[in-house]
Amino acid sequence: MFDTLDIFKTAHAAAKHAAGRQSVVAENVANSDTPGFKARDIGTFEDLVNQSSTSGLRTTRETHINTPANTRSTGTFIDRNLEASPNGNTVSIETEMLKSIEAERQHSRAMAVYQSSLNILRSSLGRGG
Amino acid sequence: MNDLNKTLALATSGLRAQSARLRLVSENLANSDTPGYQRKIASFAQEMMNTQAVGEVRQGPVRLDQTTLPKVYDPSHPMADEKGYYDGSNVNLMVEIADAREAQRSYEANLKLFEQSRKMSASLLDILRR
Repeated sequence: MFDTLDIFKTAHAAAKHAAGRQSVVAENVANSDTPGFKARDIGTFEDLVNQSSTSGLRTTRETHINTPANTRSTGTFIDRNLEASPNGNTVSIETEMLKSIEAERQHSRAMAVYQSSLNILRSSLGRGG
Repeated sequence: MNDLNKTLALATSGLRAQSARLRLVSENLANSDTPGYQRKIASFAQEMMNTQAVGEVRQGPVRLDQTTLPKVYDPSHPMADEKGYYDGSNVNLMVEIADAREAQRSYEANLKLFEQSRKMSASLLDILRR
């Protein structure tokens, strides 16, 4: 488990992803009354994990452009399946609230994992815990 | 941490824009009986930096409601014309109250996000404390 400290990397990536998602949600909420604003979203952490394990697109030739892992999922994209209000704005406050709570929970989960792994590491070093 | 800082800035821009909107609403309400007053409308736009949207919201130019002012009949009014009419204001109290409530809701949503991001960064800093 602690050979490569993968769990810290995973917890770090999860927390980073949650913070990025929260930032996108904040952008949507701040612009919830801006005419013509299109709501944005960011891929789930699950997608990110699945994608980085397969290390990007599979290519048939080496000369093909191989997008490095986690460029697509971490990038923001415009959510096109939403209904626009008369002024062309597609932000729904309810959806954004839900997404922000999801992000917060993911963040605190990541923090809990990080904290508890740190405690295990500390006690294995013999500094109490 | 960078993302969380950005979130705080974004939420702040939303709070600022919504409170500016609420200020315009209260201006309208205060002037609902001022003769010839045209209702002010808040507009929102995206903050641009070098023609690229940075995500923050800012208040756009204030527009005036161009609907025709109602004629009020009061011959004793100092501004009345020879037929006894003067221009009222086109402020509709119902619309203003609804607008104020909408501003309040958006303000609360931004505040909620601010609070949540603050909590997230606090828990991040808690790791250092041990």
